[in-house]
Amino acid sequence: MAGEAASARDERSEFSRFVTGLGRGVAGALFLALPMLMTMEMWYLGFYMARERLLLLLLINIPLLVLLAHRIGFEETFTWREAVRDAIIAYGIGILTSLVVLSALGLLKGGMPASELVGKVALQSVPASIGAMLGRSQLGHDDDEDSDDATETRYPAELLMMGAGALFLSLNIAPTDEMMVLAYKMTIWHAIVVTVLSIALMHGFVYAVSFTGGHELSPETPWWHAFVRFTLPGYVIALSISVFTLWIFERLGDSSAVEIMLSVIVLGFPASLGAAAARLIL
Amino acid sequence: MTKTEKGRHRERHDPHWIEWLTGLVSAVLIAGMLGWLGWEAFTREATPPDLSITVLTTEKATTGRRVTFDIYNTATTTAAAVTVIGRLTEGDRVIEENHVVFDYVAAESKATGAILFQADPAGRTLDIRPAGYTDP
Repeated sequence: MAGEAASARDERSEFSRFVTGLGRGVAGALFLALPMLMTMEMWYLGFYMARERLLLLLLINIPLLVLLAHRIGFEETFTWREAVRDAIIAYGIGILTSLVVLSALGLLKGGMPASELVGKVALQSVPASIGAMLGRSQLGHDDDEDSDDATETRYPAELLMMGAGALFLSLNIAPTDEMMVLAYKMTIWHAIVVTVLSIALMHGFVYAVSFTGGHELSPETPWWHAFVRFTLPGYVIALSISVFTLWIFERLGDSSAVEIMLSVIVLGFPASLGAAAARLIL
Repeated sequence: MTKTEKGRHRERHDPHWIEWLTGLVSAVLIAGMLGWLGWEAFTREATPPDLSITVLTTEKATTGRRVTFDIYNTATTTAAAVTVIGRLTEGDRVIEENHVVFDYVAAESKATGAILFQADPAGRTLDIRPAGYTDP
């Protein structure tokens, strides 16, 4: 009898933990995706961007969410099956949150064609679902934190985390017209300065400034070891993600190679900071 | 590999060779990019926007005719608010004049646009040319 009562209590507490996780997911989705939900270019992209690129973005989001779930998740996910389940829940929260917020802001109306309605919600669901996934790790700090345990992050996982961070910040900024305007206003000298600045800040945030979650080196390891092994690949990842998001949002057009490079470097600045932040947070 | 202990991460002192290889490839890519940009910065002269237009097609639209064209900017400076005027003339008489504005025509790049005419350009003189721009 006592055992049954205990298992019923366990079930209830597991259920309430799950509901709390959902709540945190919604909070995370709102908190991190609201800037994009309120960006004009994102509404327009919802109906004019090429459907195959939108589909590609939506598909790429799935493995990204699964990897994030495996790393942080709504609950402690130990198996890939649970990670997939959490990823699907996060995507669902992202879609619902986008739908509710866009409707509340009067951006979805009955008279609009179906492709516009679906396009707007689908595009916004990508950042919202990442936000939902991060909601748990960012907003839930008190209970069941297991950071005292010594864990090892494999090198590819570390690079993937940087890619996820870069993608999140790029999604925020790539759709805006400011990206292209900045690239048009800048000279090549400005771009070179921005490149050096991005790399320096990336390395500084992770190693020099002592944030919680920061990285440190063994006293016997020279500083350039981490610089070559982590910061430089991280910057290349940030630039690649910039190219990808600019291409997805059709920002590259028929521009010349130098103009494309300038806009990639401009977007690479926030992307590289996002990559560095991901190493601190995740 | 990175070891996480009490919220701090410590980089391993004895990394796998793949980490060095990735780092090396990245270093080469970044050096190559900076080298290319540096070379461009030194050799490229700043020239004011130089705009030219190539008419592509004339086709029937629901209202009137659609004339599509490419606009090229061969200079190393981007032009903003580029106004393009299309004028349809028959002898000395101007039949129709329309214009379109491009937000930007990037340096050494092209953009595509169209002007709509009520009258059929066939058999008449069609002149499409850039009329002005601002600095971005």
